Amino acid sequence: MNSYQRVMGTLTGQLVDRPPVFAVLGAYGGKQTNTDLRTLYSDASAHVAGQKALQDEFGFDLVMTAFDFSAISEALGGETAWSIDQAPNMRRPAARNAEDALSLPLPDPEKSGRLPVILEGTRQLAAIYKGRVPIISVLPGPGILPSLFIGMEQWMETVLFDRDTACKLLNHSGHFFVAWANALLAAGADCLVVTEGMASAEIAPRSLFADQILPHLSSTFAQIQGPKVLHHTGGRINHTLDLLSGLDGLVGFGISSKDDLTEARRLIGPDLNLIGNLDNLTLPVLSAGEVYEMSLASLRIAAPCGHYILCNSAADIPLATPPENLRAMLAAAAAYSSETGCRI
Amino acid sequence: MNLQEWSEKLLTAMINADRSAAAEIISRALAAGNDSRMVIAEILDPAIVKLGRLWEEESMSLAQNFVAAKIAEDALMRCIPVYEERLHNKGAVVIGNIEDDFHSLGRRAVGLFLGAAGWDVHDLGNDVPAEQFLEKAVEVNASLIGVSAMMQTTALNIRKLRNLIDAQGHTGRIKLAVGGAVFNWRPDLVAAVGGDGTARNAVGADELFLRLQSEAQKGVKP
Repeated sequence: MNSYQRVMGTLTGQLVDRPPVFAVLGAYGGKQTNTDLRTLYSDASAHVAGQKALQDEFGFDLVMTAFDFSAISEALGGETAWSIDQAPNMRRPAARNAEDALSLPLPDPEKSGRLPVILEGTRQLAAIYKGRVPIISVLPGPGILPSLFIGMEQWMETVLFDRDTACKLLNHSGHFFVAWANALLAAGADCLVVTEGMASAEIAPRSLFADQILPHLSSTFAQIQGPKVLHHTGGRINHTLDLLSGLDGLVGFGISSKDDLTEARRLIGPDLNLIGNLDNLTLPVLSAGEVYEMSLASLRIAAPCGHYILCNSAADIPLATPPENLRAMLAAAAAYSSETGCRI
Repeated sequence: MNLQEWSEKLLTAMINADRSAAAEIISRALAAGNDSRMVIAEILDPAIVKLGRLWEEESMSLAQNFVAAKIAEDALMRCIPVYEERLHNKGAVVIGNIEDDFHSLGRRAVGLFLGAAGWDVHDLGNDVPAEQFLEKAVEVNASLIGVSAMMQTTALNIRKLRNLIDAQGHTGRIKLAVGGAVFNWRPDLVAAVGGDGTARNAVGADELFLRLQSEAQKGVKP
């Protein structure tokens, strides 16, 4: 059973040889190939080489297209901040406020900034891994996407105090969200992970999410023809899970390390998938033995029901994480498989 | 309606992220003949303290915190005579997001609350190198630097500022407050980056800064 079969089998509730294991490794690919991060995130071949090196070294059950939201803000006209030890970030958004953002031309996925680099990387990954290892693309959710147009503070100000303009900007940016998602799928992505910060308890109250963001999430998801996972972005998401289960094409949720796996399962029912929820921040500081035990504990809680993929929570795994800690995640899945009689 | 009841209504408006309702409550409290100083001390401050407790219980979101900061600012502007008296009487502070960090919302809320509480806030913005923090603190004679970081990778850059403060002989005289989502998730990082203290949210920043200022005046070293 290869990684693609294992993951797709899990997502569709079939028997698999062991629980799949994901690790969000983007910048880590540069570490493996001694490539500086500016090159890694600007050159499709460099990114693909990083993913290939990671796949050869560890063999996680995914390869990732570039997880780089600054490519979107940059394509809009914003400025990017480059770092030597983390993925690039938005330094300055393209527009000062929501009114200005409404007149921004939307990026063309095939032409604007570094977006074509991400699509080319996706095509190259598909040429190597299609049908063998799932190709996963991460993109910002439609509710948080306007923050890449105007910055988080302005977006929060607009959502909270100018609902009409917020609605207009959601509609405007939503066209790009749909176009970008479908472009990634057309380039070869097998599944989209949509990180929707507005769904997390740390960012917005449930009522605000339900009133202003959820309808937009529903309408945009319906326009994207591919499987989607909704991701917590870093904050807790259990408080909105019950609202989200019916989204078009939704196959599962990425939940945070502070979300309770059992409660998450109760909230989403038996058929949707859970992905998570190892604490990203502890991965560089724990021993491999501790990562192994933490992984095994999550597997014992969540894997018996099926529809579970072990994964770190939050974004890129920090570069300081020792390789043996990553291997411990895979070892735990193998051990769990052995103790439960292989097939789950 | 007594002051406590006004305060409870204001807290409800803050929890509901209802800025206009909060403004209306402050206006009505003032129109009812309450002295503006009393409005701040007995209506606004208790609501903010209770809001901080709710945050500790993890039942408040960043959006609610942001609205609360705006409401506090609105309320103080409406009580302008007292606001001006309070303005800057606690001393100068320098705040900013550390080098490579661009998550400004929490820092902005801290700045609003500190300004509302009477600090002279010098906000350096995002992606601020350690040298710039210290230069500004020396220039404005601040005994407090508040540094924000959202992610572990960027939080570790705060260590450069700690080393710089110590290397230039300001240990104990300039205190380093750290904050941001990552410190709430991993409190051990406060010591790891050389922070002198942290607050879980913007509401708690005033109390933290007062404590650190007191330590700085006594020359307490970490």
